[in-house]
Amino acid sequence: MSASRSTSLAVSINATLADLMEQRPEMLLLGEDVGRLGGVFRVTRGLRDRFGADRVRDSLLAESTIVGQAVGMAMSGLVPVCEIQFDGFTYPAVNQLVTQASRIGDRWNGQVRPSLVVRIPTGGGIRGVEHHSESNEALFARVPGISVACPSTGEDADQILRYAVTIGSPVVVYEPIRLYWRRNTPARDPQPARSATAARIVRRGADLTIVTYGAVTNEVLEAAGALATEVDAEVVDLRWVAPLDLETILESVARTGRLLIVHEGSRDVGIGAEIAASVAERGFDLLRGPVRRLAPERRPYPPADFEKDYLIGVEQITAEILGMTK
Amino acid sequence: MLRHMLVARGIDEEAGQLQKQGAIDLWLSCQGHEAAQVGSALAVGPAPTVFPSYREHAVALLRGVAPDELVAQWAGRTFCGWDPRRLRFFPYTLVLAAQTLHGVGYSIGQRLQGREDFVVVYIGDGATSEGDMSEAMNLAAVEAASVLFICQNNGWAISKPAGEQMHTSVADRARGFGIESVRITGQDPEAVFAVCARAAAHVRERQAPFLVEIQVERIHGHSTSDAQELYRSPDDIERARATDPVTAYAARLSGLGLVDADWFHLVGAEIRDLRERLIKEFAG
Ligand SMILES: Cc1ncc(C[n+]2csc(CCOP(=O)(O)OP(=O)(O)O)c2C)c(N)n1
Ligand SMILES: [Mg+2]
Repeated sequence: MSASRSTSLAVSINATLADLMEQRPEMLLLGEDVGRLGGVFRVTRGLRDRFGADRVRDSLLAESTIVGQAVGMAMSGLVPVCEIQFDGFTYPAVNQLVTQASRIGDRWNGQVRPSLVVRIPTGGGIRGVEHHSESNEALFARVPGISVACPSTGEDADQILRYAVTIGSPVVVYEPIRLYWRRNTPARDPQPARSATAARIVRRGADLTIVTYGAVTNEVLEAAGALATEVDAEVVDLRWVAPLDLETILESVARTGRLLIVHEGSRDVGIGAEIAASVAERGFDLLRGPVRRLAPERRPYPPADFEKDYLIGVEQITAEILGMTK
Repeated sequence: MLRHMLVARGIDEEAGQLQKQGAIDLWLSCQGHEAAQVGSALAVGPAPTVFPSYREHAVALLRGVAPDELVAQWAGRTFCGWDPRRLRFFPYTLVLAAQTLHGVGYSIGQRLQGREDFVVVYIGDGATSEGDMSEAMNLAAVEAASVLFICQNNGWAISKPAGEQMHTSVADRARGFGIESVRITGQDPEAVFAVCARAAAHVRERQAPFLVEIQVERIHGHSTSDAQELYRSPDDIERARATDPVTAYAARLSGLGLVDADWFHLVGAEIRDLRERLIKEFAG
């Protein structure tokens, strides 16, 4: 199977942030340890030296403070790009995101359009201790007024971040921790997405559509690659889980007649449920068989020794593909 | 000052009436808070940006919010009826204490851009229990943000007495965060004005936050949906009424000969006109 050695996700995000900071004086970075240290994952390494402590701000250790003050900064015309240290520590900021950031535009009758980005390192497979391997993107996907992106390559993260700082409403960007420094990833179809908000078809195929996003996209590609001689699978990397690019999904299903959804966030009331429901509503006649979902069951992320049982791996995906197409 | 207090009282009474008639959905009265609101708003002047809570009607009117703009959100027409930017009076925030962090962040943002960074944040006694208030005080102290916190302590958070809400005063708590503070009574607008003017000078000169805790009385229930008779003794409600800052200040200025019957007549006519316009807009 072919593999590509591209720039890692962390290096790519760092370069994008630096470039945006260069172009846009109103932009600033805000988060725990993002300055002196460059973030616990070093994604913002070197940026404080380059842009100064006023624009690369080591925030107080309080997530509601990070997002709450960012809302105020956005009201003053700045474009804050916040970092939450780990997905599992997002919760203290949920109130400010859900009841404030997402609603400020409406409350102000459009007079304020806060461009505010919250970057969140996410996901497991890193032998994290409790709370360090979560995937809570579905939580924000339900919130009107918040866009939720889940890039799985540096290229996608670059396009998404450049777009996110311009749209005048909050964007939460989930960055898979286990891809930050990984450079060997399965090759992808080179054709770019139709737009910054569109999904991307990362593997072309005729027998079955697999819709996925985030780090597990790589496992899906591995499985599809491994089965290439038996099944010709098409893989759609959503890149955004809110709003969803249903057009790309439906067009793909129209070609293949089968839909499998794979994600790392737990299954119940998850992103896959929304996709399955929407495809049933709008594309039932396109389907040759039932829509299937592969995602962890509804239980807390386990201690590291057990995470392999929790996460969706290549073998499970392979088995599912075979089950659906035999 | 008395004129602003009387206007606020008139609008507040009319909004309460309109709610009773079903013309608006809900009203949170500011009666009892007028001296604190008018004194503080005049003391800081027009330059600072105000981050209100949801009961600062006298501040709103003084900043130029028209009565119908003020009432619109309580009649389900909008989430904010006025132009927040132009009036530098930002929208009411109904999630308690959320605005405190916005205020501090706004002040920091303004300072970073070299613009006027003086911000006034209003908060109730009960809302100071929310984590965001503590976070905002800490952030303001650490960042030396030009934020004046004004806590109107009316002794109640709906039915919970302030004495059961906190073990120290809000002013004491502010000092724990490294914010200088003062605690005053809020019956006399001139006293409130003097203290808030000094507090504003502190914020400007030292480029540091300050907190003023103003003890006021809540004359009516928490809102038009609240029956305070269920949890407040008749004596206590009567006591609150008896300390009405509007009637007290009116009597004092009359006694001093600073205002006379003609003046009251003129202001009364102005208020009647405003009330009639409100009726036309919402019950017409
Ligand atoms: C986060 C949050 N929790 C609860 C409420 C419901 N609520 C609205 S006002 C209020 C009491 C607030 O009391 P206080 O801060 O003293 O202000 P006051 O109403 O007395 O002016 C409560 C519990 C709310 N609006 N927001
Ligand atoms: Mg109160």
